[in-house]
Amino acid sequence: MTVADKQRLRQVRSAILGNRPDTSVSNALYPVYVAVIAAASYGVPAAQQLFRSLDGKWLAAHAWTPVGAIVTLSFTAALLALVPLVGRVHGPVVPPLPYLELVVDSPMPRKVTLARNWQLSFGGSIVGGLLVGAVGGAGLAIAKVAAPVVLMPATVCGALIGVLVAELWLQGQVHSTPLALQPDSSLARGRRNALALLDITGLKRQAASNATIGGAVLAGDLRTARLDAARPPTHARQVHLRPSGPLLVIARRDLLGLRRAPWSALYGLGLAAAGSAGLMLSLQSPRTPTLAPLVAMIVAYLGFGALCEGLRLHADNSGTSRLLGLAYRDTALAHLVVPVSAWAVSAAVVSLPLYMTGLLRPSAMVWALGAGALLAGAHLMASFRGLPPAGVFGPRAGVPAMIFWYSKPLLATLVLGTATAAWGARSATPWVAFSWLLIAAAGIIQWGLKLVDKRDRRS
Amino acid sequence: MLGRRGAAVPAVREPVSHALRATGVGKKIDEAVLLLPTDVELGAAECVVLRGPNGSGKTTLLRILAGTMSPSQGEATLDGSLVDERHDSTRTTIAALIGAPATYRDLTLVDHLVLIDSTWGHVGKPAADRADQILELLEIDHLSQRFPHELSSGQQQLFHLSMVLVRPSSILILDEPEQRLDPDKRDLLTAILLDRKDDGSGLLIACHDPAMTAALADSVVDIRSE
Repeated sequence: MTVADKQRLRQVRSAILGNRPDTSVSNALYPVYVAVIAAASYGVPAAQQLFRSLDGKWLAAHAWTPVGAIVTLSFTAALLALVPLVGRVHGPVVPPLPYLELVVDSPMPRKVTLARNWQLSFGGSIVGGLLVGAVGGAGLAIAKVAAPVVLMPATVCGALIGVLVAELWLQGQVHSTPLALQPDSSLARGRRNALALLDITGLKRQAASNATIGGAVLAGDLRTARLDAARPPTHARQVHLRPSGPLLVIARRDLLGLRRAPWSALYGLGLAAAGSAGLMLSLQSPRTPTLAPLVAMIVAYLGFGALCEGLRLHADNSGTSRLLGLAYRDTALAHLVVPVSAWAVSAAVVSLPLYMTGLLRPSAMVWALGAGALLAGAHLMASFRGLPPAGVFGPRAGVPAMIFWYSKPLLATLVLGTATAAWGARSATPWVAFSWLLIAAAGIIQWGLKLVDKRDRRS
Repeated sequence: MLGRRGAAVPAVREPVSHALRATGVGKKIDEAVLLLPTDVELGAAECVVLRGPNGSGKTTLLRILAGTMSPSQGEATLDGSLVDERHDSTRTTIAALIGAPATYRDLTLVDHLVLIDSTWGHVGKPAADRADQILELLEIDHLSQRFPHELSSGQQQLFHLSMVLVRPSSILILDEPEQRLDPDKRDLLTAILLDRKDDGSGLLIACHDPAMTAALADSVVDIRSE
C-alpha cells in the first residue's frame, strides 16, 4: 500500500466516521479480550475434563506414538480442507454493503479498500488458533496426558494453523467469484494479488448473505441460514424423475436430489462408511476407549445427515399449499428410505473387507443397522424441530440454552449410541445392550414422529 | 375476444359434483377484522369470482374455503361437512393456489409435475406425458429442464399454476392467478380455466382483471371491507 493509498483511505474513513471518534481499534480488541477470558475460565476446565473423560491414560499412551501423530495430522488436514469451502460461502473479506457500494466500487485499488477487513480476519484467525492451541495444551497438561511443556508447542502450532486457516479461507473466497480466475483476466494472479481478484458481485452476494445468515442465526432460524448458504443445484438437469408409486417416487426424488448434489452424496456416503466402520470396530474389544464409538457416532451423524436433504426439504415446505397426494407423516417416512438404505449399503460394503481380514465379527453389521435406526430417528427430530421456543431467547436462558435446544438430536445420538456401544463391547451378553439400542432407537423415532405430527398440525 | 388455445389436459378423474359453501363466514383476530361475514356458494361447472379492494379479505375467504384456516364466525362446508384440509377427501376435491407453493430447489419443472402426479397414484408413462402436456398447455414446455430459481417471476407464476393444474381436483381455488402474467398469457390462462369449467370443475377465483372476470364468472361476489 503506497503512501498516497493510505492517505486516500484515511480520507474515506474520516468521511464515513464524520464527527464520531474512531473506535475501530478498541472494537477489534474487545472480542479478543472476551475470547481470552472465556478461554481461560471455560475453555481450559472443559478441555481438561474432556481429556479425562476420554480415558486419559489411553490417550497418554497413544497420543505421542507415530500412529497418534498420523491420526492428529490427518484430522487437522481434513479440517483444513473444509476451510476453502467455508470461504466460498462466507469469506474473510466481507465489508458491509454500503461500504462495498460507495468505497470498494470506486476506482480505488481493491487491495487498499479491502485491506482493513482482511487484516481483521487474518488477526482474528491467528488469535483464535493461538487460543485453541493454548486451551488444548493446558487441557492436556492438567489432565496429565502430556507434560506441562506441551503448552508452548501447542500454542505455537495453534497460531500457525490460524495463519493457514486465514490463507485457505481467503483462497476459498477468491475461488467463489466466477470473474476472478477467468483465463483471459488481465489481473495478476497469486496470493499477493488475492484482494484485487475479488469481484464486486461476489462481495455483495456474500455481504447480503452475511446479513441473512447472521439474522437467521440470531433468530435461531437455522433453516434460513442453511438455505441461504446452499448453492442452487444446476447439475444433471437432463436426468428426469421417473414416475412410480406414491411412496417410491419420494425415494426416487431423494436419489435424484443426491445425483444433483454429487459432493453432498459423496461426503455423506464417505462419512457413513467411516462412521459405521468405526462403530463396528469399536465393538470388537472391551479395551476400546469410549472415545472410539463417540467419534464414530459423530462421523456417522454427519454422514447420515448429508443424505437427508429430501427430509429437510419436506420439513421446509410445511405451511405451504399442499400439492402432494400423500399424508404428511407418510411423506416424511418415505424420505428416510434413501438415507437408511445408503447407510445400510455403506456399512455392508465397508464391513466385507473388515470381516474377510478377521477384524470384525458378522454380528457387528447387525449393530450398524440398529445404529441406522437411531440415526434415522435423530434426523427426523433435527429436520422437524422447527424454531426454538421463545423461552430460549429470554435473558436468563442465553446462548447455551439455544445451543442445547439445537443439539438435542445430536446429543441423543451420541449419548445413546456411545453408551450402548461401550456397554456392548464390555458385556458378556452384548445382545442385551443391542436390545437397549433398539429400544432407544424406537423411542427417538417416536419422538421424531411426534415432531412431524406437531408440524403437520401447525401447517 | 379470448381464443381457445391448446388442448385441455386429459382428465385423470371424472369430475364429481361437489358443493362448496360459505355461510356468514367471517374472520377476526383480536380486534382486527380480516373478513366481514360473507356468503359464497359454488357448484360443479361453475365459476365464482371474488372482487374487492386490497385488504378486503379475499385471500382469507379463499383460505377458509380451502380448509387451511378456520373462520371465527359462520361455517364453510364441502358437501355439507366442515371443510378441513387435513381430510384426505378435502385434498382430493380441492386444489388451491393461495400464495406461492413450496418447490424443491433440486428438482426441475418437469420433475415437480411428475412427483405431484405420482403421489396422486398416476404411475408410468401417463404421468410423464401429463407433465409434458401441462407444460405445453401453459407454453412453458421449453423451460421443462430448468430449476425453479432459474425462472422469471411470470414464468414462476405459470409454473405454480401448472403444479395446481396437474393434480386431480373437482374444485380449483386460485388467488389472483393473473398476477405477473402478460396479456397474452392471461388469455391463455382464461382459456384453460374455461376448459376446466366445461369439464365440470368448480372454480373459485379472486381476480382483479375485468376481462378475465367477464370471460369466466358465472357470478361475482364483491367482498366488502370495513
